[in-house]
Amino acid sequence: MTAIAVHPQDAPVRRAPLPRLLRAELRMILRRPRTLIGLTLLALVPIVAGIGITIATSNGDTSNGTEGLAAMVAGNGLVLPIFALAVGMTMLLPLTSAMLAADALAGETAHGTLRGLLIAPVSRGRLLAVKAFGVATVILLAVTLMAVTGTIAGVVLLGGDGMLTTSGSTLPFVDGLGRVLLAVLYSAAQMWALAAVALAVSAFTEHPLIVVVVTTGIVIVSGVLGAIPTLDAIHPVLITTSWDAVGDVISDPLTGDTMGQGLLRAACYLVIGYSIAYARMLTRDG
Amino acid sequence: MNRKKTALSVAAGGTAIGVVGLILIATPAGADETPPALPAISAEALVQSVLTTDVPALSGAVELRNNIGLPIPGLPQSSPGEAIAHVYADGSGRGRLAVQERGGEHTVVRDGQTTWLWSSADRTVVKYTGSVDHADKADAADKMADPATAARDLVGLMQRDSTISVDGTAKVADRPVYQLVLTPKPTERTLLREIRVSVDSETRLPLRLDVMANGQADPALRVGFTEFSTGPQNPSLFSFTPPAGAKITEFGDQDKPTEAQRNQFIDGLDAKVVGEGWDTVLTGKIPADLVKNSGTPQREGKAGKADVNPLGMLKQLGKEVSGPFGTGYVISTKVGTALVTTDGRVAIGAVPQQVLVDALGQK
Repeated sequence: MTAIAVHPQDAPVRRAPLPRLLRAELRMILRRPRTLIGLTLLALVPIVAGIGITIATSNGDTSNGTEGLAAMVAGNGLVLPIFALAVGMTMLLPLTSAMLAADALAGETAHGTLRGLLIAPVSRGRLLAVKAFGVATVILLAVTLMAVTGTIAGVVLLGGDGMLTTSGSTLPFVDGLGRVLLAVLYSAAQMWALAAVALAVSAFTEHPLIVVVVTTGIVIVSGVLGAIPTLDAIHPVLITTSWDAVGDVISDPLTGDTMGQGLLRAACYLVIGYSIAYARMLTRDG
Repeated sequence: MNRKKTALSVAAGGTAIGVVGLILIATPAGADETPPALPAISAEALVQSVLTTDVPALSGAVELRNNIGLPIPGLPQSSPGEAIAHVYADGSGRGRLAVQERGGEHTVVRDGQTTWLWSSADRTVVKYTGSVDHADKADAADKMADPATAARDLVGLMQRDSTISVDGTAKVADRPVYQLVLTPKPTERTLLREIRVSVDSETRLPLRLDVMANGQADPALRVGFTEFSTGPQNPSLFSFTPPAGAKITEFGDQDKPTEAQRNQFIDGLDAKVVGEGWDTVLTGKIPADLVKNSGTPQREGKAGKADVNPLGMLKQLGKEVSGPFGTGYVISTKVGTALVTTDGRVAIGAVPQQVLVDALGQK
């Protein structure tokens, strides 16, 4: 009784502190074997790409028919993490984001554990926020992990003095790292947008596989529509449209207009995804 | 029940905000704006001001929309509102042009004396230390000495076959512009409906060029700025140091083709201009060695990508036709037509096919 008298504010508000919820959620996601395997595989992507490019360019020929970003990687190690992110964003990172979002709500429903959470002393909004935070954090972790192993692999395997930009200038190493950081933030933001849409799907179903299938479907269909020139009127609304603009970070001076547009688009999809997910969470029975 | 209502309004509101945002991204800026009010100006005065203006220090993003029905080789196609190139100038003859591709860039830097061409895809640098053609420049400068006359001459020349007018104002790259419109006279046999040049009201630089074809509401071709601003630029933009490991090719004045070589090449083309105004047709011959290549398809593949079979490509792109000129292939786009005969004659113009056939007939 004396304890309550000392902390009277504890008695009426029986809410779990937010940091503890967030930590618990993160710990739960990171303890799943599939999350760990996924993160490990993603971290290996830049290493494998770096070894491949090193072998392909070992005869000193830098123009071996590679195109686009790949042509910039040879002897230019700091571009490897950006190249790896661009490659990852075509399929591996969207798949990981979809998997995380699927586990967050649909997976919990399938195990019957979401019911417990819904009747716990946590508001629906807070529950969704915790779930969204967990997904977003692990996505950022995955992207950062790729960038870190990519940078290390690039410097060790491919070397290079600073970063050779697509404009032909050479940036100092620290500026190059800044560009890598920019690529990390941009890729993470695009994946957050996709994960928000996936989370909305996740709130509606109890089969995690459906979430993954629908999300991958969205990515593939958007990619196909984006490749048809006559449909260029709808290209600006497709979620995948500016994903490959991540390569723009290695131009000098930085031309951020496509990336800026990509971020705005991502923000729109974030709002759509989370508001639908929130509405579904509110109407769910306990 | 209350909770359901909240849920519905959250879903509807959030989705609406997101969708409106997406639509805003998709609509090009200034599409439905009321045209800005600018003092009236005559076509002649507008042309004169364009001719006399100097390029100030500026930076801008350029878009290229190609709707002619064929891709333009070597140029990326930009989707709505997306820039393909960035332009910088310092106002005293130094400049930079950067054409972006997927994960690559072609950069041209002119730092006063030297012009650098950098291509990131194969990491090559072309260094060009020559002077710009002085003969042409002096000639042009002579004419420019009296811009009023030059403008009147130019407008007069254009008025022979077209109607030229200032068609109100608009906004390009968020700047008020005058729209100078050239329309072919009804007697002209051309595929084009009009050419629209948007001239910046302040700097008098052309900010956008639209080519409209018959039977098309959208411009068939649009080159213009999506962003444009004047002001001093970072001087480091106008210098270029070839990166380590790049292949450098140098060109100077001595590498230019001599007058005789040039004349020989032009004679070989047998170029002729048939007609005038909008239905001008350029006829000529494909250089003999090019035709020879096309006759030996077995060389294909061995020499790799560079040796494309021109006739084979024509068959793919064009439609086979025959007439008084023999047989040939017609490649038609929204803005122009090209006719290549099997014996190597070429006719090209912004005209329908029949005009080309007539032009080939005029020996």
